[in-house]
Amino acid sequence: MRLMFRCLMAAILALCGFAAQAQQQVVIVTSFPKELTEAYKKAFESRNPGFRVEILNKPTPAGVAYIREAPAANKPDVFWVSAPDAFEVLSAEKLLAKIESPAKEVPAKIGNYPINDPKGFYLGQALAGYGIMWNTRYLAANKLPEPREWADLTKPVYFSHVSMSSPSRSGTTHLTVETILQGEGWEKGWQQMLMIAANCAAITERSFGVPDGVNNGQYGIGLVIDFFGLAAMASGFPTKFVYPSVTAIVPANIGMVAGAKNAENARRFINFTLSPEGQELLFDPKISRLPVLPSVYKKAPAGFPNPFTGKIKPKVNFDSELSESRYYVVSSLFDHTITFRHKELAAAARAIYQAEARLAAKPNARAKELLTEARALAFTPVVGEQKSKDKDFLALFRETKRSAQKTKQLTGLEEYWSSTARKNYARAVELANQAASLAR
Amino acid sequence: MGRGGAALAHSGIARAMTGRFTFVHAAIALLIALFLLVFLAIPVFTVIYVAFTNADGSLTLSHFQSFFHLTLMRESFYNSLVVGGMSVAVSSVFALPLAYFISRFQFRGAILIQTLGVLPLIMPPFVGATAMQLLFGRSGSLNLILGDWFGINLPIMEGLNAVIWVEALHYFPFILLNLTVALNNIDRAMEESAQNLGASGFRLFRRIVFPLAMPGYMAGAALVFLKVFDDVATPLVLNVTNILAAQAYLRITSIGIDDPIGYVASVIMVAASVFALWGSTLVMRGKEYATLQRGGSTLATQRLKPWQAAIAYGWIVFVLLLVLSPHIGLLLLSFSRIWSFTVIPEAYTLQNYVTVFRESSFMLWNSALYCGIAAGLDVLIGTAIAYLMLRTRLPGRQTLDFIATSAVAIPGVVLGIGFLRTFRDFSVPLADVPLVSFWLIIAFAYTVRRLPYALRSCVASLQQVHVSMEEAAQTLGAGGRRTVTRIVVPLMAGGILAGFVTSFLTAAVELSATIMLVSATSDAPVSYGIYLYMQSIAGRGPGAALGVIAVTLVALGTYVSYRVLHSRNLRFEAHQAMK
Amino acid sequence: MARVRVEFHDIALAFGRTQVLRDIDLVIEPGEFFALLGPSGSGKSTLLRVIAGFAFPQSGRVLVDGQDISRIPPWERNIGMVFQNYALWPHMTVWQNVAFGLEERKLSRAEIERRTADALDLVGLRGLAARRPSQLSGGQQQRIALARTIAIEPKVLLLDEPLSNLDAKLRIHMRTELLALQRKLGVTTIFVTHDQEEALSIADRVAVLDQGVIQQVGTPLELYDSPANHFIATFVGTINLLRGSLETADGGTVFRGETLGTIGIPSAEASIGPAEIAIRPHAIQLAAPGKAPDGARSWLDGTVTDREFLGEFVRYSVKVGTTELVVDQPHYMGEPGFAPGARVKVGINPAQVKLLRA
Repeated sequence: MRLMFRCLMAAILALCGFAAQAQQQVVIVTSFPKELTEAYKKAFESRNPGFRVEILNKPTPAGVAYIREAPAANKPDVFWVSAPDAFEVLSAEKLLAKIESPAKEVPAKIGNYPINDPKGFYLGQALAGYGIMWNTRYLAANKLPEPREWADLTKPVYFSHVSMSSPSRSGTTHLTVETILQGEGWEKGWQQMLMIAANCAAITERSFGVPDGVNNGQYGIGLVIDFFGLAAMASGFPTKFVYPSVTAIVPANIGMVAGAKNAENARRFINFTLSPEGQELLFDPKISRLPVLPSVYKKAPAGFPNPFTGKIKPKVNFDSELSESRYYVVSSLFDHTITFRHKELAAAARAIYQAEARLAAKPNARAKELLTEARALAFTPVVGEQKSKDKDFLALFRETKRSAQKTKQLTGLEEYWSSTARKNYARAVELANQAASLAR
Repeated sequence: MGRGGAALAHSGIARAMTGRFTFVHAAIALLIALFLLVFLAIPVFTVIYVAFTNADGSLTLSHFQSFFHLTLMRESFYNSLVVGGMSVAVSSVFALPLAYFISRFQFRGAILIQTLGVLPLIMPPFVGATAMQLLFGRSGSLNLILGDWFGINLPIMEGLNAVIWVEALHYFPFILLNLTVALNNIDRAMEESAQNLGASGFRLFRRIVFPLAMPGYMAGAALVFLKVFDDVATPLVLNVTNILAAQAYLRITSIGIDDPIGYVASVIMVAASVFALWGSTLVMRGKEYATLQRGGSTLATQRLKPWQAAIAYGWIVFVLLLVLSPHIGLLLLSFSRIWSFTVIPEAYTLQNYVTVFRESSFMLWNSALYCGIAAGLDVLIGTAIAYLMLRTRLPGRQTLDFIATSAVAIPGVVLGIGFLRTFRDFSVPLADVPLVSFWLIIAFAYTVRRLPYALRSCVASLQQVHVSMEEAAQTLGAGGRRTVTRIVVPLMAGGILAGFVTSFLTAAVELSATIMLVSATSDAPVSYGIYLYMQSIAGRGPGAALGVIAVTLVALGTYVSYRVLHSRNLRFEAHQAMK
Repeated sequence: MARVRVEFHDIALAFGRTQVLRDIDLVIEPGEFFALLGPSGSGKSTLLRVIAGFAFPQSGRVLVDGQDISRIPPWERNIGMVFQNYALWPHMTVWQNVAFGLEERKLSRAEIERRTADALDLVGLRGLAARRPSQLSGGQQQRIALARTIAIEPKVLLLDEPLSNLDAKLRIHMRTELLALQRKLGVTTIFVTHDQEEALSIADRVAVLDQGVIQQVGTPLELYDSPANHFIATFVGTINLLRGSLETADGGTVFRGETLGTIGIPSAEASIGPAEIAIRPHAIQLAAPGKAPDGARSWLDGTVTDREFLGEFVRYSVKVGTTELVVDQPHYMGEPGFAPGARVKVGINPAQVKLLRA
């Protein structure tokens, strides 16, 4: 009986194999949510009968790892995520194939940022900015003012009301962090990041956790990519979204994987996403992304932002090469000094705010000094600007094949950051408490 | 019917028969061993191997050193232990009073408590977690009310607390069940002799009754600890990443399949599971407490005084409400259009269900396929191993049983990692599909994970079949195979069915291994589908709808199988007297 | 049905280090109703299972109808067995149970129906064909188990303690039924029991086993009257065993027991020296002292130490010298018998004394 079963299994396997090959396939690795992928899948398949779109849904970093690790005979076809720096990472590892844009009317740049890869390895498919989203009821209930700029979120009044994700888990968060770093500079940027993070109630596991939390009122404010905010408003949630001035409009890209199994089909799909019909799909309120084809905007719904008319004023000229060069450093640094040390960081901030509140009533010079020191301890990055530009240092993080020695080195470094951060935060709490006791 | 010549031809069988097994038995055992080797032993050993070796193949402990150097990893390890232990503790807090009430008092609320025992188990924790956020989170229903009335905010769903709360609420039935059975097995004479010597009331319970029930409790506690330690999905959904299971998953998926830290985390998880199981058997072994003696009766029950009844029923209702909360929350969410910062949703719709049926009915088919294959294989293998164990003297059959049962100590995420690592260079024969992307792998992962439970079920039911049933058939001319199909399997049918249903239902809500192994959305089973849905704004509602559908099907399945088994049992009760 | 001879040659069987059967040599004649009798642990059930094919001797052969069946698996031996717990399958009706063996032989539907009906008729339970085993009484279950085996017309019929699960009255009734059935069918039947009364009452011949060794084979009469050894003597029926020595006296041989006195024994074939004799309780007569004794008996003096009223007879314990004898006296209406403490004369009939090998 078992022999029969085994034969049956082999037959089924063979059948499945054949069945899978009977249809034309295109395999897409993407971090986009279901609404978007379903819409494109349906539209593409109805326009191209006999074709099957296979969606592999992965968070951006997992997608990068997946493409890197896929065996040569079975590479996926298309990579489609929000973050251009993820594309840079793949491009540097020669994992992308050159493609030509089918849509010649797509402008070369948005602001100062090239929409398509100048080297020709990926194309811009949609545009997105980064901004702040909040829940109006939450703010009303907690009597909080509406924020406008990133810098606003560093204020004590927002303590424990903000939320963001981590750059290691979310391509869009990585971009947001990079935007701030590039806009304000390494030191000041990290300072701001630390202060905002300190005001966060949670560092979410996936970028979606932020808009989700804001939507259902768990968090008051969130750092999000624009389409989350726009889609939420369009869905009827009591939320609002705003673009701060320190923002960049950056393309969401689509590219073909080098050695893709179904290269022709990949091209077909990519061309579809850049066709007027494919671009118009982005207007769906549940999707709410900005098309790259300017001509399509005349069909946009009322009030839909138009990046080409200059209403959104991005201050930052995003340098994606810079971003790529320090991709893993930024992720790791954020994780080990913020994400995994969040409790301590928040404790430090709370102590400092409490002390400052006290101090406001009873000023004290010594206490003020202590607090300045406390703030410096809590909100200064453990890696300075110089180090961040050091080539060897950066190379260490780029290694993908980990020998035991390399792993040891890396983990040693991460461990150092982590414990230093913890020490700093704890010390900050001490100092703040001291300052508070002085202000009696 | 002289068969002189045939005797020679069968001499091979007959010779083997003197050793009490046949060639067929050996072949079957070999096939099973092969399956377990390929889909359990090798993946697990691969994980352990990678954790202990360098890229060049030399043995090293440096990965472990690196692991323990990382504060995050140490913290995750510690947190996992804390979450596991606290979940057991909170579960016990719920379960203990209930067990006490059932065993000490004459109680009409028994039905209520039986319901309590089943409800949590039909909804997997990660599905309920989202609903729990909406009910108990910072701006959840409860805290909104508390904030309005008392100005307080209970951080039930913050960080680790959230995980503990969700897990405890889901797993306390394990403890309740084990404790109740253990209490019911205590001979009345134990208690009466203590009373004779002057002990009574709570003191009696504490000093005599509960210690005697301890072994049963420990079994339940170990199981809960194990399952909580293993759970990847719930922490992820709740945004808690500093837990060992979550870290193993995150490191392998976002850093790479070669990241050694992920493997070290896996090895530690396996070690912790094994330790928990071994520890509980150790504790139980020294205390083979006499269960009911012949002719003994169980503990005496008293009538409830009115104030006692009030407390008892009060507690039961309280726990019942808590237990129902994720179900209620999920139901509300599935019908909601907007639920933001309000106690209950403000706008309702049926659209979520429509979306789910339109878009995701294929996931139901996927789940049915994977779980059907897994459950089918489980009862096949389970019956075969049970038969080999109890009816033959095949050498190595104990080892086979041991290996199959050892799967219970392997966390799902570890098995997933093992599969990815072991099969990454293989392709499906005749087709151009890499093995790790092929959906059958998912079914095999389920098979291996559910096998221990199906096996126990099959063994228990074969033990109920007296060997004379088979011998009678043999004297009447039925050979090995005919006896098995006409006599043994039909008599085991109840246990086989129970094993099938349990395997199927528990595999249907499994996410730990699924989350590692599912790649393409079109291959997704329902559990993964729910997880995917919960990742987008517009997906919460449909995700909840899918969750409700899944839970309803599981509940229905459990109920139907219970009824079928119950009626079968009634029919076969008499044959117990024939032993 | 055919009548076949069953032979055991040199069967030895051990489970691990325990020797369960030793040097079994036995021939069972065709058509015989043969009993294997012995206490628990004697190996009798094991021997039965050897014929059925469920126990495997390390040495020796079993021949059925002249053919060595040692290498044949149970399902090809065509030997029917009724198990102690009947082993009726609860998931099948009575009809399906009885038809099972016939279905295994791939007979035609019509043939199966006919033979199943016949088998049920033979045990008189045709009307219960649609019931399930759980709905039958113990006696009915036993008969169905029997019908199931008879249906296939086995060469040999094996019964493993067939009556031990029935209550006393039913047991007696069923054993005559069993015998009648066997006589009707003529099939060689071997049944196992620990109850010597059962074995003696219905078997043609009996083999008594103890600790894996056949102690004696013979007809019930032979076993009762001529036990070959100590064990048989005490196992089959109640008996008095006396040690002493044989001496010549008065032109014949007498047995002198320790503090017993002398008892005449039949004929002079016995050799002088230490010896053991056996006397059945009912072969001893009690008389009041002073009554004229029956000269054919040897008379001794004794005292009644205990009495048990058993209805048909009274069982006395009588102390003669230092020996306790069990004496059965038939009871008649109106006769009070002897009370404990009474002095009595104990008369032993030399013709009823059995000399055991010393």
